[in-house]
Amino acid sequence: MKELLKRLSLAFGPSGCEDSVRAMIEKEIEPYIKNAEVIKDGVGNLIVHFNSEGKPRLMVSAHMDEVGFMVTGITQNGLLKFGAVGGFDPIVLSAKRVISESGVKGNIISKPIHLLTKEESEGAPKISNMSIDIGADSKKEAEALTFIGDYFTFDSDFVEYGEDLLKCKALDDRLGCAIMCQLIKDVSESKSEIPFDLYFSFSCKEEVGYSGAFGASAQIKPDYAIVIESKAVSDIFGVPDEKKVCTLGDGVIISFADKGAIYDRDLVRHIMRLCDENKIKYQTNKFISGGNDSANIQKNASGCRVSVLSAASRYIHSPADVISYSDFLTIYEASRAVIFTEIK
Amino acid sequence: MVELIKKLICTPSVSGREDKIREVIINEITPYASEITVDAIGNIIARKKGNGKRVMFCAHMDQIGFFVTFIDDNGLIKVSPIGGVSPLSASYSEVVSESGVYGIMVPESAKDMPKIEDMYIDIGAKTKKQAEKKVQIGDFFTPVPKIKRLMGQIYVGTPFDDRIGCAVLIEAMKQIKSENDLYFVFSVQEEVGLRGSRPAAFTVAPDIGIALDVTATGDKPGSPKMDVKLGKGCTIKIKDSSVISSPELVKQMREIANLEKIKFQNEILLRGGTDTASMQTAGKGALASAISIPTANIHTSCEMIDMGDVKEAVRLTCALANKL
Repeated sequence: MKELLKRLSLAFGPSGCEDSVRAMIEKEIEPYIKNAEVIKDGVGNLIVHFNSEGKPRLMVSAHMDEVGFMVTGITQNGLLKFGAVGGFDPIVLSAKRVISESGVKGNIISKPIHLLTKEESEGAPKISNMSIDIGADSKKEAEALTFIGDYFTFDSDFVEYGEDLLKCKALDDRLGCAIMCQLIKDVSESKSEIPFDLYFSFSCKEEVGYSGAFGASAQIKPDYAIVIESKAVSDIFGVPDEKKVCTLGDGVIISFADKGAIYDRDLVRHIMRLCDENKIKYQTNKFISGGNDSANIQKNASGCRVSVLSAASRYIHSPADVISYSDFLTIYEASRAVIFTEIK
Repeated sequence: MVELIKKLICTPSVSGREDKIREVIINEITPYASEITVDAIGNIIARKKGNGKRVMFCAHMDQIGFFVTFIDDNGLIKVSPIGGVSPLSASYSEVVSESGVYGIMVPESAKDMPKIEDMYIDIGAKTKKQAEKKVQIGDFFTPVPKIKRLMGQIYVGTPFDDRIGCAVLIEAMKQIKSENDLYFVFSVQEEVGLRGSRPAAFTVAPDIGIALDVTATGDKPGSPKMDVKLGKGCTIKIKDSSVISSPELVKQMREIANLEKIKFQNEILLRGGTDTASMQTAGKGALASAISIPTANIHTSCEMIDMGDVKEAVRLTCALANKL
């Protein structure tokens, strides 16, 4: 699964531009969907449905999109002004390598240090003071390579380091996509009956809050939904224990609540019980922060019971998003256990 | 009715953890409903079946409070706020956990106005191990429930928001005899962003939605400049931060109130949202407004109401059920 995670994470797919990620996923699951219905809806979600009418509907959801940048202007000297697609700490952006959808490489640059006013050098950097340098000397030269509305993402590598750590852009949430691809394979090859009318939703536009999952859940009208995600942690930097949120390497995070949703208590307990029975390492969050697609899924249509399974992620929304591969595997095992076990 | 309010108040249930209050309310309303369902997110949807207009009344049964997020080595408990908790009111207040463990909420610094994250709950435990026997991560705490009568019809206590609205609905359910198709929804998770009432309104798909909730008053030092006073009757909502009430419905509500000689005030709530908004916009949408109970010091442990206003709210609810 590591190889698939690598390919998916390196694929290009900021919010609203998920085509190549979606195509990669379609190709990946193609051998395993003979008994499934595949829906590509109007907003760009890819939904795989293993029909089992009459059983409770379970929606498993991960988002395909990543954070990125959109070109909003081109200056006379060929620099690109850009806006953020998704949420960034601007301090992360300065001097980072970026790449456009068509493969044009660039660097994010800001005003050089010797020209900064005292206020600018002491305050937080602003995206409005940054540009992308693609090596063009004039507006005309730049316009031959890009256009207003073009997307860029981090130009990043997939690196394995430490004991079992992985570092790349877009692990948020290609890790969820990779797990869902594997689950689709597992379901298609399973001899035992699945106790759900089962939907996998590869959703778009999560990072901009629009939440393709909103549209997906309106069609699916699930009874239960499991969202697979990554969760920002701060388990280093001398942060006091009560504000670390979670710890890398301590297993799948089964959250009880975050800023977007209070998770269904019975479903959370059910998943914890499954983890205990199957000896899957898990942790719960120790600080309430962040949010994900479950906020929208939970209150859509007549509402449903939601839970989120996340990987602890350091430096999220950067070119070096870091997760632990063993955590990744615990999410896979936990979500697999959910799919194959009836909820009583 | 004070006895009913007392019973509802003394069943702490923070947003997302409404199981106990749900049970109490279902027990109260069972004799007066033709059907009762609980949906996936936990709303109670009770119906008095009829052939007329489909009207949905909605009061939220959750309250603000705290979720336990961390227990330190000395057995002190860190929490996150659920809903718009006032740090001023929380400082040095008495709190109680869902399993009935009492504690006090203490700011780490006595000088600055603290955030909730910079306070701890002390339950008297000396070690982490001791505390963990009583309290788990994910458990909730609320201010200790209370209700006291002051002069005349004035009562103070917590949580009036929105057990008062629930009490009004329950009382109205006992009295209403109507041809209309009436739904009484006791919603969850209002305090964290109207999360419960949206799915309920989608399911019910009402023609008209009326929320029952508290509203601020403008008659105390430092209160917002609004034309609502304690004791001058319930209010008919024109607007709050989340909704502009449907004008044709507001007009009709006023006419009915005038006809029945019900004391009411016009309400424009400057800050705060209500389930009115989700009823207006869920599914295909509906006409929506709210009946509110003027309440001073909302979201503190000394919320204040006038029982006369509560009675007018019951009368208006019953009148609307019959005449809309």
